[in-house]
Amino acid sequence: MKRIDKLRISRRQMLGATATAAAGAAAAAAPLSEARAATAAAPRWSMVMDMRRCIGCSACTVACKAENNVSLGRFRTVVQRKMTGTFPNVKKINLPIICNHCEGSAKDGADDGVPPCVSVCPEYPGERLTYVSPTTGKKIRYRGGATYRRPDGLILIDVAKCIGCGKCLDGCPYGVRSFDPFVQAGAKPEEQTADKCTFCVHLIDNGQDPACVTTCQGKARIFGDLNDPDSPVSKLVREHNLSSPGNVLLPEKGTAPQVYYIDPEGVLKTAYREREKGKLDHYMEYLDA
Amino acid sequence: MAIARKDMAETAAARSAIYGFLATVFRAEPSAAFLARLAGDEFAGAFASLEGSLSDQLIATDRDRLAEDLAVEYTRLFIGPGPHISPHESVNIDMGNALEASFWGTQTVKVKKFIEATGLEYAEAFTDMPDHISVEFEFMQTLAAKEQEAWAEGNAEYATNLLAIERRFFDEHLDRWVPRFCDKVIAEADLDFYRAMAELTKQVLAFERQNLATETAESQTHA
Amino acid sequence: MTALNRRGFMKLASASGAVLAAGAADIRPALAGTIKLSQSGRSFSPTTGKERQAIPTACWQCVTRDSMIGYVEDGRVVKLDGHPESIRTRGVICAKGQAGINTVYFPDRILYPLRRVGARGEHKWKRISWDEALDEIAGRMKPLLDAGTPEKLMYHYGRNKASQSKVNGDFLGAFGTKTIGNHTSICEGGKWTAQELMWGGHYDNWDFDNTDFVLVFGSNTLNTHTNHIPVAQRLIDAHVGRGVPMYVFDVRLTDTAAHADEWIPINVGKDGLVALAMCNVIMSEGRYKRDLFKFMKVTADRNASVDEKIAAVKAGVAAFTPEMAEKDSMVPADKIRELARAFARAKSGVVVSYRGTIAHQDGADQERAMMLLAAITNNVNSPGGRCQGVGAGWKSPKSKAGQKTGGKVKALNINDGFPGQVAYPTHHVNHQVLKMIKDGRAGRPEVYIWSCYNPVYVNGEVEENKAIMKDESLMPFTVSINIVYDESSALADIILPDVTYLERWDWEDMVSPTQVAEYYFRQPLIKPLGESRDTGDIWVGLAQRLGIKLAWSSKEDFVRQSCNMTPGVKEAGGFEYMKKRGIWHDKNAKPDYMGFMSKIPASALKKDGVIFDQATGVYWNWKKAKAQSADEAMKVGYQNTPGAYKAYVGQEIDGEVYRGFKPDKVNKSGFLEFYSELLKAKGIPAFPTFTPIAEHTAMAPDELHLTTYKVAVHTHSRTSHCKWLSEIYHDNPGWMNPKTAAERGLVDGDRIRVRSKHGEITTHVKVTEGIIPGIIAISYHVGREFSGRYGSGKADPIPGTMADDPDFKNKWWDRHGVHPNVLIANAPDRMTGQQRWMDEVVRVEKA
Repeated sequence: MKRIDKLRISRRQMLGATATAAAGAAAAAAPLSEARAATAAAPRWSMVMDMRRCIGCSACTVACKAENNVSLGRFRTVVQRKMTGTFPNVKKINLPIICNHCEGSAKDGADDGVPPCVSVCPEYPGERLTYVSPTTGKKIRYRGGATYRRPDGLILIDVAKCIGCGKCLDGCPYGVRSFDPFVQAGAKPEEQTADKCTFCVHLIDNGQDPACVTTCQGKARIFGDLNDPDSPVSKLVREHNLSSPGNVLLPEKGTAPQVYYIDPEGVLKTAYREREKGKLDHYMEYLDA
Repeated sequence: MAIARKDMAETAAARSAIYGFLATVFRAEPSAAFLARLAGDEFAGAFASLEGSLSDQLIATDRDRLAEDLAVEYTRLFIGPGPHISPHESVNIDMGNALEASFWGTQTVKVKKFIEATGLEYAEAFTDMPDHISVEFEFMQTLAAKEQEAWAEGNAEYATNLLAIERRFFDEHLDRWVPRFCDKVIAEADLDFYRAMAELTKQVLAFERQNLATETAESQTHA
Repeated sequence: MTALNRRGFMKLASASGAVLAAGAADIRPALAGTIKLSQSGRSFSPTTGKERQAIPTACWQCVTRDSMIGYVEDGRVVKLDGHPESIRTRGVICAKGQAGINTVYFPDRILYPLRRVGARGEHKWKRISWDEALDEIAGRMKPLLDAGTPEKLMYHYGRNKASQSKVNGDFLGAFGTKTIGNHTSICEGGKWTAQELMWGGHYDNWDFDNTDFVLVFGSNTLNTHTNHIPVAQRLIDAHVGRGVPMYVFDVRLTDTAAHADEWIPINVGKDGLVALAMCNVIMSEGRYKRDLFKFMKVTADRNASVDEKIAAVKAGVAAFTPEMAEKDSMVPADKIRELARAFARAKSGVVVSYRGTIAHQDGADQERAMMLLAAITNNVNSPGGRCQGVGAGWKSPKSKAGQKTGGKVKALNINDGFPGQVAYPTHHVNHQVLKMIKDGRAGRPEVYIWSCYNPVYVNGEVEENKAIMKDESLMPFTVSINIVYDESSALADIILPDVTYLERWDWEDMVSPTQVAEYYFRQPLIKPLGESRDTGDIWVGLAQRLGIKLAWSSKEDFVRQSCNMTPGVKEAGGFEYMKKRGIWHDKNAKPDYMGFMSKIPASALKKDGVIFDQATGVYWNWKKAKAQSADEAMKVGYQNTPGAYKAYVGQEIDGEVYRGFKPDKVNKSGFLEFYSELLKAKGIPAFPTFTPIAEHTAMAPDELHLTTYKVAVHTHSRTSHCKWLSEIYHDNPGWMNPKTAAERGLVDGDRIRVRSKHGEITTHVKVTEGIIPGIIAISYHVGREFSGRYGSGKADPIPGTMADDPDFKNKWWDRHGVHPNVLIANAPDRMTGQQRWMDEVVRVEKA
């Protein structure tokens, strides 16, 4: 099996090079059963957040704005901050949050593998698509939609199919989606399209890390392939036992998030500010400090 | 047929002259000499026949003083400091994404690539943004001049294609933002001059919207 | 106006044609070349493919100046990232760096020279050409040359470093003026001077990669350090990756304090006291390390034995018991003991200090206490200790100085504070410049040019600054070189459009955390927008008009020559290499740990002009010091010969001559000087001590300390126009402990009025457990009067509802903060001239 690390383009190699930029996200997706069966054939993209290392500098937030041209008034990733305790025994926790790229897990005992944002999308399941694994070269069939899950685990939005109904904004328990005021919903141009983190699909499909990871000073964000046992994320998951339920956000929702938190002090739950119904205030980054 | 071609050539020449004039008006602050020529009989006459209110101020005022005042007005309206009416397409379009519709955004790139695709390039000494209103006018001026030349040389196919390019640029760029830009100028101008020029520009674009369509259809019969 | 018909169109065309034909020179064409269409334009199609280039360059949002890769697509900068080959940054940049694109493409950017046409501050401007602008400025400069008073040209900058600084100094020197202002006194000048008095050089870099223990005083090292990216990542690596203990003393729970093993709240201005108490514990309990004492000077006797020195340090810190320190500092005596012991026990350790420690009266003495703590534990210039920063040593072309003034280069004496105000202003006292101009006794600049500086906003007493800059009788001609209309350029006579750092050439030299110098480089990612122009190229234009010959023809040429003459870079391929790679370091270089212990060869002492100074034990070269004769030099002595430090050769200790701690700005000896003859000579205690701060001891019960601070996403005054940064940080409530708030009947979010002797601001209060009682803390980035629409939030300095850029519709915040500097005196520390940001006291009440 070809190791994904070998495919990664060194940023050094890009120096001085003039290249034709890749087109946007490759279209993705295939019949669900196939996708599930084929997971080992494809990468399983994941991010580990090391809460010990997040220094609250917001470099990730701004790098994301720059990489993805995110308009003002909304974010694709933020760092939540929380102070706890009484003077002088006070703690401050920085909590980077992002789309969890949920795998979707057991609902009524059935392993349906469809995360809530995808299941509420009226355009899902849509056309049959083929994903070519960068690790094995295997072709994997899956189903598209305005919001859909690609066989490598990315939850993506197909702007052309989006009708701007907002069901996925409401359906995401983490509230990490917003409307892009500049982009029309392709299938209903009078509406704005839904938008969210793609793990910088245009970069990872070219062997690079997401922008927030590349610029993280404390190495608090680690990105990689959980299907590669030697990847840094796999090692961290093993080392810190991250597959236990306490290391993801809102485990009780059964969404099987693919963003894991290293949280030796057990403060994840305390630090996390959940969305309020119908609001996205928790997903705005600003410091009244 | 030859007469009709002559008409086409004349129209192209006229278009070139008018866009050239508008490019001059919006490129920079007017000189006193330029103002004096505007106040001259021919231009003032043409303007008066449109019931424009330009000539009174031009004739009545000390032109050096007016040029100075208009330089301040030009700065305030189109340069800053502080918010101003950015005379650039990318800032004035209301669609696309945040990157497209921003100062020197990807819309600017589209304008630049359109212009460069015709073989023209930006002059080394030109220091404004590639999608400055005056560049767009100058581009139309240049295209129309070439079109006129083609008609005159009897190269109808070339002329027709040039006209199609003019129309495309007009539709995809100029007409998408300049009328609204002119409305802002009309609302914000303190002195008559830029208000009058913005009015005139709007009228020219309104005429062109029709004219280019008719001309394009007409040109097919020659090609 | 009536609609055009064909007849009207043709008539208008004819008239337009006539107008144009009569004045061919009305317009400079924007377009060149001719229309060339393949297949007669049959298949005309504008290209849509994107061309992306990766170009190495360097950041400049803040002084850290990280090397970067800029990605340019179709002539637009689209993304910035850290340079993966950098040994300083290891390929990352911060939030400010990521927002660098905002500085190029923001709707309020100044792109043309502007001349004021109304009164100062009336906001009435006219665009002028570069020729007009330069003619006018040269026209103001020429009479200064004619009158033999070139020093009346003052150039004032905020952050000029590396090639920028050299280019500016070179031109101004050629013109004949040394009236060059900086802003170090409002940053950390006092820290540098304190270090120069002890250590010789300045800039402490902490060897986090090798350290075993970290103590932080008054510094949010993880978020806001001047060398942020290189140090923050190494500190977190040490602490999390290697489990290095970390303790943070601060009045606030900063992100650094939050990551520490423990946040130790401390009263304002008491860092030095606690450090002395830690020294007391270490000395009295015999936990010191003897290694460094030989190289320390701790009494008047330079020949004192190590045991005598140990005894002297013990005696010097004896008064500062942990109990005594607890009373004033609120740090428990037991905690002081515990940390002192742990620090002394650690194999190595760093003592970090910054503005919280030093921006006080005698703040430099607090820095000396920090250094003493490091020295007695053998943590100076040692692996894992507090090491002198190492930056790149570039060479650059030099023009002949004083070309029209017979080689003379003069300065108005307005950079170092009022006579007698400051003992050793080695980094100047530039927050006093406007006051001194107002005073006038030391002369006034006829021409005041500034760039990368905002004198109104960044200093204290903002309203006074404004009044002085508005007054044409005090400041007859002022020129601002800027990218954005701000509080100071609003009061200029001419504004010149500066390039952004993504549009210019520089070589760079910021300190490397590894003690191995990194040579790096900045090149334009794009052609400068509009008519913006690098200051170096502005000098070229002025030099041409004034008949001054420069050794370089443009800023690019200056940088090219520098690359091609700097050892190392030159051999690697010089300018062309740097254009391609952007970065170079000597792969064989090693950190210079303990370099002070190396011996000076006898041959060096026998060189022509080298003499021995009995008083200090310093070998120095009287010729190099430009003394009149050997005899004269011997008579006056090393310490009293101006500039003798430049001629330092070595330090005699116990009969051997060592490299020692080489002086840099003052005539100190080669010892690590804790007993300073230089301070003593100015009536300041020679040995580190703690002197209570007058403003603090005189505080009334209802008064509060005011402290100010930085956040991670802004520089002091040069990033608020960046929309992505102002979106994250735009408001600065006053932090207050619940106890302090309750005493004033305040609850979280209340509007409050904050008053000092100098001014008043109204803001709201953030009641938080993360701050000590008895103070209010307000950050200093926001509250902008003018700094673009995203910074100031103002529609406009000029009335009217003008067009906005499309993203402005999405701007959702309507608070834009307040500026605490309005409340703070422009007051220098007596030792160094450091602006005393943290000494102000205020009253706070419900508004």
